Amino acid sequence: MATEEKKKELLAKLKNAVISYDEDTSKEAAQEALDAGMEANDAIFNGLVSGMVEVGRMFEAQEYFVPELLMCADALYAGLDILKPHVKQLDLGVKGSVVIGTVEGDVHDIGKNIVKMMFDVAGFTVYDLGRDVPLDKFVAEQLRTDSDLVCLSAMMTTTMTGMKKVIDDLRAKNPNVKIMIGGAPVSQDVADKYGADGYAKDATNALKDAINMIASLKKMKDEVEAKKAK
Amino acid sequence: MTTLNSRERVLKLFAGEEVDRPPCFSGMGNVTTEGLKSLNQKFAATHLDAKMMAAAAASTYKLFGFEGAVAPFDLCIEAEAMGCEINVYAHSEDLLYPTIKKKLIHNEAEMEIAIPSDITTRGRVPLMVEAIKLMKKDIGAEAVVGSYVLGPFTLAGQVMELNDLLKLSFKKPDKIGKLLDQLTDVIIQVAGQYEKAGVDFITVREMGATSDVLSPRVFKSLILPYLQKIFAKIKVPSVIHICGKTNDIVPSMADSGAKAISVDQKNDVAETRKKLGPKALVFGNYDPYNVLVAGTPDQVRQTIRKCMDDGVSAVWPGCDIWPTVPAENFKTMMDEVRKYRR
Repeated sequence: MATEEKKKELLAKLKNAVISYDEDTSKEAAQEALDAGMEANDAIFNGLVSGMVEVGRMFEAQEYFVPELLMCADALYAGLDILKPHVKQLDLGVKGSVVIGTVEGDVHDIGKNIVKMMFDVAGFTVYDLGRDVPLDKFVAEQLRTDSDLVCLSAMMTTTMTGMKKVIDDLRAKNPNVKIMIGGAPVSQDVADKYGADGYAKDATNALKDAINMIASLKKMKDEVEAKKAK
Repeated sequence: MTTLNSRERVLKLFAGEEVDRPPCFSGMGNVTTEGLKSLNQKFAATHLDAKMMAAAAASTYKLFGFEGAVAPFDLCIEAEAMGCEINVYAHSEDLLYPTIKKKLIHNEAEMEIAIPSDITTRGRVPLMVEAIKLMKKDIGAEAVVGSYVLGPFTLAGQVMELNDLLKLSFKKPDKIGKLLDQLTDVIIQVAGQYEKAGVDFITVREMGATSDVLSPRVFKSLILPYLQKIFAKIKVPSVIHICGKTNDIVPSMADSGAKAISVDQKNDVAETRKKLGPKALVFGNYDPYNVLVAGTPDQVRQTIRKCMDDGVSAVWPGCDIWPTVPAENFKTMMDEVRKYRR
């Protein structure tokens, strides 16, 4: 088992690898964490994700922009790929599967990919339909996979209006499905009008929302563990 | 002052002369569903036919008195001429703008590209030339006729994966710079064709370089030099358009050599006006969807008035006119501008 000190050092190494978008160090630190006998979950949440939280803050403060954000995401994935096979499945009471994609007519997928990353981190099964996705396909994929969350992204006003159709269709076929919409032109107003359950305005907000989601998952995880310890 | 017609008003403005009021026009797409309906045209077909394109562009002037006509409506002309495949969504009844279906560069290894020597005769460039001539013939004596090209960075985002473009801009700016230089040449050639066809003004749309995405520092070091190269070659009045966060880069935009800068609703125009001084031409900055389409006539009136009070030189949308704009809102906007006196 790793000593507390060694653990701390490795978590900091993971965190800093994400912040300084260093894929090699991220891989190296992830392997070291496993070799030292650390829990993969611990390394992901308290190392990689905590780095991404800091990246989110820097993005918000305009110290980082989208290129840096993308490189940090690469560094996170580099570590995650090594750690993920070792994650012990925790029963969080969340089913954890999500259909995600950018609607037809829209070929922008950076915002979508950032949200997807956070779902990957959280251990969701992600059905990524990609970009420029015909509207019917969202409904078909939700039914096929029985996912309880569908995330629609539109970067342009020109394609945002298509989301309403998907939402109406999804609701008609499955009243219980949760729907999140996101993208530059989307507002709370639009989300309400379209009948979506949640929205993320842009990459920053998508990241923030996703981080909030992870934070609440983390809380649940802590609660589960606290219960186990009793 | 004798009454100016729309064309005179806009050209005087570009020339730095006094005008009776800010003109109300745009350098970006201005097709409306009302216009398409009046012509009995389908949106998807309109991108592929010079006559239909010209008629749709001119209809906004004819129906509402919008003070100029601009074609095309999509952002794929240059990329298509370079060899990208486009999708016009012919199957769809929705308003889907053409997008790039197949890029030229799929990864870093493919960045060495050759620009076709006959770029101005490829894709829809000849169709654009014809559309411009038709618009000129139709309404060119009364209203300005314009067109737009993409900025080099935005065009790079069309021909290669955006993910790669953004990361490489950071990791390997030299490689991106080389591509931008090639694209700059494409843009200059295409804009030159439009000038020969008779456009009154050209807008360069560089929205990919918004501060929402890219740092002002990278904008200045990597992109601005190529924009300057482009504007040095454009002989007709020119506009640089960047949407999203632009407050930090308006001085660079003004430095690009464009006659006017165009910003969207995220820009604080009063502040921009202070930064750039009373003479600078600042076009903007109403929200074409949330205000012009989704707002009430009252909201339209207030927003348009605020643009003018903040000091825009021309009342101009933050992006393309979104086609489903209700006739009443369009008329309200024009009415508000017409009765405005500084």
